[in-house]
Amino acid sequence: MTMIDSPGATAVDERLEVGNTLIAQDWEALTFKVHRSAYRENAVFNRERNEIWGHTWLYLGHETEIPEAGDFKTRTLGGRPLIFVRDRHGTVQAYLNACPHRGTILCREPEGRAKNFQCFYHAWTFKNSGELAALPDSDAYPQDSAFVESLSLRTVPRLGIHEGFVFVAFDEQVPDLLEHLGKAADVMSMTASIGPSGMTTVPGVQRYSVKGNWKLAVENAMDGYHFAPTHNTFVGYLRETGFAVNDDAQYAHDLGDGHGLAVLTGHNGRIGMIWEPRFGEREKIRTEAKRKELVARLGAERAAAVADSSKILFVFPNLLLFDLEALTIRQLEPVEPGVTDVRAWQLVERDEPDDVRALRLKTMASFVGPGGLATPDDIEAYEAVQRGVVATADLDPFGGFADTDLDWSDMSRGMADDLTGPRGRSIDEGVMRSFWRHWSRRVGELPGIGPDASRLGGVA
Amino acid sequence: MSTGAVHTSAVLPNGTVPPQEQGSDRAVVRAEVEDFLFAEAAALDEWRLDDWLTLFVPGAAMQVPTTDVTGLGPENAGYFVADDWDLVRARVKRLKSRKAHAENPHSRTNRLVSNVRLTERAGDQLRVSANFVVNRFRDGGEFTYVGRYDHLLQVQPDGLRFLLRRSVLTNESMNPGARLSFIL
Repeated sequence: MTMIDSPGATAVDERLEVGNTLIAQDWEALTFKVHRSAYRENAVFNRERNEIWGHTWLYLGHETEIPEAGDFKTRTLGGRPLIFVRDRHGTVQAYLNACPHRGTILCREPEGRAKNFQCFYHAWTFKNSGELAALPDSDAYPQDSAFVESLSLRTVPRLGIHEGFVFVAFDEQVPDLLEHLGKAADVMSMTASIGPSGMTTVPGVQRYSVKGNWKLAVENAMDGYHFAPTHNTFVGYLRETGFAVNDDAQYAHDLGDGHGLAVLTGHNGRIGMIWEPRFGEREKIRTEAKRKELVARLGAERAAAVADSSKILFVFPNLLLFDLEALTIRQLEPVEPGVTDVRAWQLVERDEPDDVRALRLKTMASFVGPGGLATPDDIEAYEAVQRGVVATADLDPFGGFADTDLDWSDMSRGMADDLTGPRGRSIDEGVMRSFWRHWSRRVGELPGIGPDASRLGGVA
Repeated sequence: MSTGAVHTSAVLPNGTVPPQEQGSDRAVVRAEVEDFLFAEAAALDEWRLDDWLTLFVPGAAMQVPTTDVTGLGPENAGYFVADDWDLVRARVKRLKSRKAHAENPHSRTNRLVSNVRLTERAGDQLRVSANFVVNRFRDGGEFTYVGRYDHLLQVQPDGLRFLLRRSVLTNESMNPGARLSFIL
């Protein structure tokens, strides 16, 4: 993991700057506060939709979800309905899911295989490679090829793939995907290298929605401080099954550009990498063999980086990669300030033995997802924050960051470490702060929202 | 429903065979299955989880597939719930703890079970399907879970027990707030 500990390309002072008044950062007092309007206000949400979701790379899906030509999924990102499809040439495409004619949702199925997409409204038909295939009564239209070409499906401006993870951007001007991913790219590569034949998603997507702001889901994933109290019952289950759990010497890393990584060495076994009793005796033998395979293929140092620690990677703004007992890809889609849609896929090793696959999936379902033993308590936490942060709304008479101010959430824990580098203890709030700093720079100043409004006396 | 079926041993989803003496090839009519499911619904609505556990053959499993139901089992697909017997018991222990934050305080639930059918019988194993509507209320929110049960029961001399308890949702996704923190 040394590649992550080294200083980033971003200069320290730039990394530590904030970009709007919704963040109150005081380097003398070592306090960091987030104004709660950031979770509540429509104006903030609308600005995020534009400045973040409209102008950066967004995680769309994994290549293995559409393995064959014509395989498609429909999906919504940044509020825009999309068709995610492997076209007749085998190329991964993402189209705006709207008929170029009148804007009708073109594909109304959640998934399937299709050579063509036909709009039911006026029967315009498009090849899965985007070209117009048929247009009823075309005599009434101009007959030149430029006109026909202008009726092709609208692709997203940018599409990029890293290690099978497919990203899109609604802005042509975004930097190249690898540049955007920065240090997160190598963490994704580590996860992708776990299986000797690669990794694949399996069917069965956990789709659920949370009554909480999307940023609460990000905070929660990067926040080791909540693990023991929130997941008391799950930790109890792990201990009962014979696995020691501890929070010592665990670190979280600011990967730059809003990306973050929590590295957890003290809890959760790792199937095929770190054995724990609940995985069974047969898996113990296989784990030893699997480790030898990893070392032979990746070298001892890289194998240790891949295998010895659980990791939770956040790729700004909507991808979470849980590399724990098993692997889960989680995608966030903000719907309203207080509502977030979540989709989660299980990622597995290609060609692994059936019993290992079964163990992996069972183990993951026991922990993550809305029916697991842990995620429901996380969801309860996001939802409880969303319900609670209205209590102090507009009770901010003095503005600024004085002690009398109420409408702020505190994220100061371990802040002194931020000055020493991009790595801090996972049970501190350093990665949450780096996320918020980046967020505030992207969103920019929001006149009339938050403390400025209060300073003006809260005039409606 | 044949009462003269050849007795075949129940095989649990985890591949083990439960104690033989418990199985019975006695006849079962729908009313008995309905009574079993209604009693189960009452135990869950009243949060009598220890009573609820006695409705299982030890070693039994519980499943809830995801809403894009693929026809695959939990060994090949992502699931919401894929509990073996250890996890069923861990779930109950968790839900009885006041540290199960997602269910503290408990949701109020009201279950309607209907359209009960006995679809298959082999020895002491009985496949049962039914429709359910679970209305759940918590934190000022109302959540409706609609689906069907696809259970495998073991016929015992004194009653019925779950070998596999499987709830298949009809919902397209879990609506905002509608996590499965309770027993569906």
